[in-house]
Amino acid sequence: MAEIKLEHIKKTYPNTDIPAVADYNLEIHDKEFMVFVGPSGSGKSTVLRMIAGLEDITDGIFSIDGKIMNDVAPKDREIAMVFQNYALYPHMSVFDNIAYGLKLRKLPKKEINTRVHEAAAVLGIEQYLERKPADLSGGQRQRVAMGRAIVRDAKILLMDEPLSNLDAKLRVQMRAEIAKIHQRMGGTTIYVTHDQTEAMTLADRIVIIDNGDIQQVGTPSELYNQPKNTFVAGFIGSPSMNLLTVTYHDGIIENNSGFSVKLPEGIAKQLTNGGYDDKQIVFGIRPEDLHLDPIAVETYIGGKFNTTVEVSELLGADAMLYTKVGETEVVVRSKGSDFVDPGTQIEVAANLSKAHYFDAETTNRII
Amino acid sequence: MKNKKRRSRTLIYIVLTVLAIIWILPIIWIVLTSFRAEGGMFVDYFIPHHFTLDNYKTLFTNSTYPFGRWFMNTLVVAVVSAVLSTFITVVMAYSLSRLKFHWRGRFLQIALILNMFPGFMSMIAIYYILKAIGLTQSLLALILVYVAGAALGFYVQKGFFDTIPISLDESAMLDGATKWDIFRTITLPLSKPIIVYTTLMAFTGPWMDFIFARVIMGDNIQNYTVAIGLYTMMTRESANSLFMAFAAGSVLIAVPITILFIVLQRFFVEGVTSGAVKG
Amino acid sequence: MQKQGLTVLKALQVGDWRMKLSAVIMGSSQLLHGQVLKGIWFLAVEISFFTWFLMRGIKSLNYLLTLGTHKQGFVFDKKLGINILQQGDNSMLLLLFGIATILVVSIFLYQYWVNLKSARTLLEFDLNHSKVPNLKEDLAKLLDSKLHILLMSIPMIGVLAFTILPLIYMISIAFTNYDHNHLPPKNLFTWVGFENFGNVLSGDVAGTFFPLLGWTLVWAVMATATSFLFGVLLAMLINAKGIKGKKVYRTLFILTMAVPQFITLLIMNNLLNDSGMVNTMLMNWHLISHPIPFLTDGTLAKVTVIVVNMWIGIPATMLVTTGILQNLSQDQVEAAEIDGANKFQIFRDLTFPQILFVMAPSLIQQFIGNINNFNVIYLLTSGGPMNSNYYNAGDTDLLVTWLYKLTIDSADYNLASVIGILIFTLSAIFSLFAYKRVNKMSNLG
Repeated sequence: MAEIKLEHIKKTYPNTDIPAVADYNLEIHDKEFMVFVGPSGSGKSTVLRMIAGLEDITDGIFSIDGKIMNDVAPKDREIAMVFQNYALYPHMSVFDNIAYGLKLRKLPKKEINTRVHEAAAVLGIEQYLERKPADLSGGQRQRVAMGRAIVRDAKILLMDEPLSNLDAKLRVQMRAEIAKIHQRMGGTTIYVTHDQTEAMTLADRIVIIDNGDIQQVGTPSELYNQPKNTFVAGFIGSPSMNLLTVTYHDGIIENNSGFSVKLPEGIAKQLTNGGYDDKQIVFGIRPEDLHLDPIAVETYIGGKFNTTVEVSELLGADAMLYTKVGETEVVVRSKGSDFVDPGTQIEVAANLSKAHYFDAETTNRII
Repeated sequence: MKNKKRRSRTLIYIVLTVLAIIWILPIIWIVLTSFRAEGGMFVDYFIPHHFTLDNYKTLFTNSTYPFGRWFMNTLVVAVVSAVLSTFITVVMAYSLSRLKFHWRGRFLQIALILNMFPGFMSMIAIYYILKAIGLTQSLLALILVYVAGAALGFYVQKGFFDTIPISLDESAMLDGATKWDIFRTITLPLSKPIIVYTTLMAFTGPWMDFIFARVIMGDNIQNYTVAIGLYTMMTRESANSLFMAFAAGSVLIAVPITILFIVLQRFFVEGVTSGAVKG
Repeated sequence: MQKQGLTVLKALQVGDWRMKLSAVIMGSSQLLHGQVLKGIWFLAVEISFFTWFLMRGIKSLNYLLTLGTHKQGFVFDKKLGINILQQGDNSMLLLLFGIATILVVSIFLYQYWVNLKSARTLLEFDLNHSKVPNLKEDLAKLLDSKLHILLMSIPMIGVLAFTILPLIYMISIAFTNYDHNHLPPKNLFTWVGFENFGNVLSGDVAGTFFPLLGWTLVWAVMATATSFLFGVLLAMLINAKGIKGKKVYRTLFILTMAVPQFITLLIMNNLLNDSGMVNTMLMNWHLISHPIPFLTDGTLAKVTVIVVNMWIGIPATMLVTTGILQNLSQDQVEAAEIDGANKFQIFRDLTFPQILFVMAPSLIQQFIGNINNFNVIYLLTSGGPMNSNYYNAGDTDLLVTWLYKLTIDSADYNLASVIGILIFTLSAIFSLFAYKRVNKMSNLG
């Protein structure tokens, strides 16, 4: 069993005033695949390293299965970790790299042999066991790093941006492998990344972090469909959600660039009651919820507006249209067959039932 | 175009060859002189008229200047110092590079300052300290001084340790290693070249030092190292007649050290460049 | 739950009687908590220190202040009826032992502090109701979190005895009048404050100090600059495209580094002598009629020293530069060639600045090292030719070699110490200045 609890965790580096992590509260359930995602410098790696014991916890309580672990040495925490740069021991063979932890714990030679071969088989690196890390490709080294982590059968598995040094295709491949391994071995896993696609595809639950503060915790679909603030809304989803700063007045939202959309009654009422009349809000709509085809335009009459295409990207089955309403940028996703030349004006309809509304000042969700 | 390139290349070859000759000349000269049978300190020709091995024989048979004994002295001191010095330097460098303790920064600053004092300013004091313990004019004293000096000479070694990625240590820590395990199984194996460099430097030091050795040995000629021995030979009244013997002695020291350097060239180069480039 | 970080002072205030007792009887808290070995150690330290201090220590400190009052001399011994030579106070030993005493006291204070810290930790264990570690656990820590204590303790003793103690001793001598007129055991010497500094900086000796200081700086600059510049050029020549036998050339030059410096320098000394090989050859070829005084003319000697130093220093610079050159990206050079730069411009604008940048810290170290470059000067010219205007120094003497002469030849230990301190100040100033500069450079790079 490995339930992790982080209560009011704070981390301040010496000689600095502003904490890297201010007040982190989180519970991770047994066997959960939890992903910390956020931009560089957001503090996600710091929290991971505090869990591993590689950084001191300035304040707060960190416990595993109810036992307080703040001052326990890394080697006694039963945690395995995959490092971003793999941290393979260059002077040892792949076999010795994977076996290192087991050798330290003085396990019998036979058992070490079996376990190393098992882990290598799972990762498909059995034929490299006698080689040195310098003779392996990036992807192979990554697998060795993972092998070293899973062979320990530790209670908790930590991964610090393990895929960021791989090229795009390998990344997609390894993502699937990691998911498979988690399904098979099933321990509590904490995965840190700045790539929201990895987060969305791998996680049971996601923690979005910015500037040391947790923005939202939830399942991928929760974060995708009900982002709590503009940061989460803009971070999750690729390409990002369109976030337009507009003024609300009497059922209509508009800005001084020519963008104007009439809102459905129910929503208008909520905004008015919330006191947002004549106030600024942030209107969020994903590119895939903006439609070009005539049927959609007919259906979503209320959310209709005109916009001019600046750049057209054909991705195959889909196309991305980077358009502008006056000075306001709007990204629209459409079918590949709807490829439109730059400069063309098009009529776009927004599926307002999928729209999000945020308070412009606090950035928090209104509706 | 091709001719121009060939011309400039030939020019470079000429320059390099001339420079190489200039550099090697003094060394060739001293080797030739060690075999010279006639003359004294100054002759006006380059190649000896008569060749002989007598100069070498003189070294080992001259009782006032027992070269053979000096050679053994220096060898013993060099070997023992090398072993102890390497151990101390490596251990200090590792502690200061990898281990966290709250007075580490301050210690590095103090070490920096201590190293800025001219080396033998403390020589006289060390001499009297040794006198108080009764160790003057002994080889043991020499070893003690060289080894104690190694404690603050950790910079190159530390610089190298600093380049080993910390994530290796961290990964090992999570795997269950103590700091001592990490030192033993990861840091040391990765540092072989630099350790060889450190040992090489520690070994060759006693052969070449004549400042410290002179103060400590005083006039105990039997206990001299080759360095002060030869220096004394050269600077006494006997200088003129023993000049060729001095040359022979020089060759006898220079040859093994040079061979050592060439065989271990790779490590020497690594040590010099890593220390310099990282500053 | 925050770490219960008690400072020692706070622990003394809030602690129980065991903590407070530890302040007076060292080791008591440890013994009362079952840490027998630790407790006995601290107790033993306290007892032995105070015994020694009362019997010897106080006397030593007293002598330190006076540096002896009884001069060696004849005293009439009533019993024997003749004059006997009575041993006087030996100022030098008194100074030495006095300083050693201070060090011992410091070590004791340190152990006292460690004792209090350990008691404080035990107090924390009590407050948190944690188990006190037994001997086995404590020793295990030596291999892990306290590894630095295990590894560094013996070297530190060496440093203390052979570096720090002598250094403090020598610095103290700068404030005494321990010179050739005041040599123990026959004579006493005593404290004279800053008198020696005044002498060196503005008194009799200033006439030697400042010219030597000037030459030391000139020498350091020239030696470092020539070795660097020509080392770079040599490296570039060997590394040039299309040159075969690179390794052979490099090995040849490395060879010259392997020959011990003092042998090389004595050879050079011999070759450049008035009757040496160089002069006799030149005369035999009728290029000159009188020997050139390479080593015996004041100005010429200075040039000679710099030139000979190039022979010694260039191979090393060449080595390091080669490493840097090999790591330099060829892309830049190719881009510059396309942009229309010729070989010289590429060297001046791309290669050389980058080499300089990488080597800057090392150059600074070399410069400071050259200020203290004893071997080259002493072995080549013995600091000569002697200059009658100087006090015990020659034209090519550096401050370091002068220090040596003052110590060995004229036994003016106090002056030597002052010079040593001044050299240190010089090195420190340059180091500080240089590192600030280098940091600025590296932030731009």
